[in-house]
Amino acid sequence: MKHSLVLVFLLTLSACGGFGAQESRVEPVADSPVTTTTTAPTPVAGSSAGTPEITDPVSELARRTRPLGTAIPEPLEETTPTPVGLRIDSLGVAGAVVDVGVEPNGEMEIPGAKEIGWYRFGSSPGERGSAVLAAHIAFNGRDGVFRNLDDIEVGDIVEVSYDDGSSQRFRVTETAQYAKDELPVDRVFAKDGTPELTLITCGGDFNRSLRSYDDNVVAYATPLAP
Amino acid sequence: MKKFITLLTAALVMAALAVPVSAQEEARIHLIHGIPDTPVDVVAGGDVVFGDFQFGDTQDLSALAGETLVGLQVRLAGTETVAIDAGDTPLPASGNYTIIAHLDEAGTPTLAVFENDTSSIDAGEGRLIVRHTAQAPAVDVKANGAVAFAGLTNPNSVQADLPVGTISAEVVPAGADEPVVIGPVDLPIDDGSALIVYAVGSLDAGSVTALTESITGLGTAPTAVNTGNSPVGTSIPAWAAGLGALLLVGAVSTRRSLFGVRG
Repeated sequence: MKHSLVLVFLLTLSACGGFGAQESRVEPVADSPVTTTTTAPTPVAGSSAGTPEITDPVSELARRTRPLGTAIPEPLEETTPTPVGLRIDSLGVAGAVVDVGVEPNGEMEIPGAKEIGWYRFGSSPGERGSAVLAAHIAFNGRDGVFRNLDDIEVGDIVEVSYDDGSSQRFRVTETAQYAKDELPVDRVFAKDGTPELTLITCGGDFNRSLRSYDDNVVAYATPLAP
Repeated sequence: MKKFITLLTAALVMAALAVPVSAQEEARIHLIHGIPDTPVDVVAGGDVVFGDFQFGDTQDLSALAGETLVGLQVRLAGTETVAIDAGDTPLPASGNYTIIAHLDEAGTPTLAVFENDTSSIDAGEGRLIVRHTAQAPAVDVKANGAVAFAGLTNPNSVQADLPVGTISAEVVPAGADEPVVIGPVDLPIDDGSALIVYAVGSLDAGSVTALTESITGLGTAPTAVNTGNSPVGTSIPAWAAGLGALLLVGAVSTRRSLFGVRG
């Protein structure tokens, strides 16, 4: 009887919106961590099948916290292989990949005309998140290794070789051209999420006074099974 | 019936203290068990909220942000023995906090609430935060052999943003090189992440060790990718450049010979 009373009270509160702000964070019982003192769920009279069960409110606090594992540190993971080479046969591109970071002005560092820069503070190609390989379209009067990146097509194969001798093939899934200030940096430099290889160069009109291109040309690729 | 009224009160309090969802989403409150060899039950409102909480275990309390844990107690697991009697404990409504059950400098179990610095970190750096929550006097924290943080005392926190990489850390008594209290231990400094290291345990009991937690997503992405400073198509292939030079030389010598003829 106690339980029914409490439940009626809670349901009334809920119906009045008293718990409205909390509802979004209360998970169905089935998905909640079970704690030692949680009493057995009490069936709600008249509730239809599929309705989340409401437990005794004793467990209310417990149901809204969740375990996150242990803070005891684990040994460091082995370092992941880093990229050293890139081939895109459809464009005739084959070049060395070097580690790059950021310039003092906050822009991504880009190597010389004939090398490809891997953003070493982001993911390595094939890891979760976006791995960025960028190269010049043209630099100091020389065509860059990504001169023809805007010709790449969905379905093209990109092969990355790594410092441990291994390699991984990627398939282009999307190509895009953005105005420089509209480059989606949150996606391009994402540290988490589905593994994506992001190839970047410049494109669009060349602004002679700024000595810079108006756009970025980007190709996204996802890893193929070995 | 008394229990029922207590529950009713608790429910009312919780409903009254419910804060906007937006604030809830911003809040991140973790509770860490930082007392070795001491399984506990965490009790609030007279009931066990989570039981048999082991050393190192971490519980996410974010959904309770802005509420008050009524009569918060930490009890030895499965007993009525109160290890920490924190009383009514209001939780912050927003922000990033870690609450750790730990030993104070004298070895008495207590709770400490630390606000975590989630300000943005420059590209290419990670944040190292070190907290003294052990039964031990002041310590120095060494990074790669040199003292990085000196004279850290319980329950205080120090931090620095460091270049990405791995550092070898050691905790030693303040002003001394030995005995080494913790380490050397390799700590990963990851781009855009804060690594929080807690010195926990009891020096007297020989149980001093480290616990860690990390906060990701504090990094700064490059602002732009500028991959061209000259127009395309002006590049002259090497063979063409060579041919051009030959033609130029040829032209000059031809003109010279013409001049010669004229001269």
